[in-house]
Amino acid sequence: MTKNSDTTAGIYKETLLAGLWRENPVFRLLLGMCPTLAVTAAVKPALTMGLSVIFVLVCSNIVVSLMRNLLKPHLRILMFTLTIATFVTIADLFLKAFQPEMSETLGPYVPLIIVNCIIICRAEACASKNNLLVSIIDAVGMGVGFTLTLCVLAGVRELLSTGMIFEAKVMPDWFVPWAAMSMPVGAFITLGLLLGLVNKLTKGKS
Amino acid sequence: MSKIKYFVQQSWLLIVSSFCFGLLLAIANAAWSPIIEQNRINKLNVLAGRLIPKAKDFVPLEELGVEIKVKLLKGEKKKVDVYKAVTGDECFGWTFNAVGPGFQDKIELIIAVDKDFKTIAGFDVLASNESPGTGDKIKEEDFRTQFKAKPAAKLEVIKSGEARDNKILAISGATISSEAVVKIINHYVKEVKEEMQRKGLIGNDKEQ
Repeated sequence: MTKNSDTTAGIYKETLLAGLWRENPVFRLLLGMCPTLAVTAAVKPALTMGLSVIFVLVCSNIVVSLMRNLLKPHLRILMFTLTIATFVTIADLFLKAFQPEMSETLGPYVPLIIVNCIIICRAEACASKNNLLVSIIDAVGMGVGFTLTLCVLAGVRELLSTGMIFEAKVMPDWFVPWAAMSMPVGAFITLGLLLGLVNKLTKGKS
Repeated sequence: MSKIKYFVQQSWLLIVSSFCFGLLLAIANAAWSPIIEQNRINKLNVLAGRLIPKAKDFVPLEELGVEIKVKLLKGEKKKVDVYKAVTGDECFGWTFNAVGPGFQDKIELIIAVDKDFKTIAGFDVLASNESPGTGDKIKEEDFRTQFKAKPAAKLEVIKSGEARDNKILAISGATISSEAVVKIINHYVKEVKEEMQRKGLIGNDKEQ
């Protein structure tokens, strides 16, 4: 009984940690590249995007996991898309109502969460095959992993492009802001360098 | 009959889910759409209030039973939201929304003019995705103040020199964005002015 409990707890822990590092959606699976590049010019929009993705991921995984035994194989993608689109629309309406400025900053990238591969990937790979608890833990792990990655990327870009983090001045007066870091080129360079760093750190461990 | 049975067997979950999700979206929309609309009105009022500070209220012309339709930059005709800037019964000017292509994406502006449509009171940016560090300087005070008290006639962009008369000095490194703003303002001021003259809301230039 104890061994069984340990194994179950181990599975939950493994599922939670997988999204944070071993199967990190951005650094390891290279999923969700569109928002990763587009909304990481500053930390605030990146954090908002991350939280929106966590909400959609958790809700869609709950629904998919609950209906997993009723799903017809040839209609499952249609069901996943319908579920995801519903929660993305709710997240979009919520931001427009309570965070209008952030909603304007993020522009079309909130509605575009519908086509974010991370969410449909977790619905297919995890929620449609596992129970409710595992699906929720997987969604939280993947969502938090995605959010942290976005924040790291945004932190580097905001710091170098404005000398600030969360709109608070961090860099000394002599620092000359690199405007290019807030442009698409800055997103590609930062992501490339961070991917290289992660590959270097994980080399030989996988 | 068997075909209908097969169809229901295969798709009942999809039909039931669609109904439930639709209901969920309808509830969310009903709960939050008044807040979203209020946010939009507040933003317009704040921006319009900055452009015409003497006015206390901005009354949509729709409320006065007038609809202003103008030709857009793309060619099609569309309704434009025009507001009368008033304090009590006194009119201080007009504000209206305008949209046109920018360097990266469309630019949405709110433009204010005086009550006779002779001078521009200013403009502000409602939405734009111009390049950070260059094109997005169209939102900054330095660029926007150039438009204050300019004649409500054709404005012209210059790359250097002084922004006198109808001249607007382009933002360094963002000539296309600067030209886009001037093009939108030129187009909408002319179109809205003509339409309002036709509707008798303002006098004709010859009469004035």
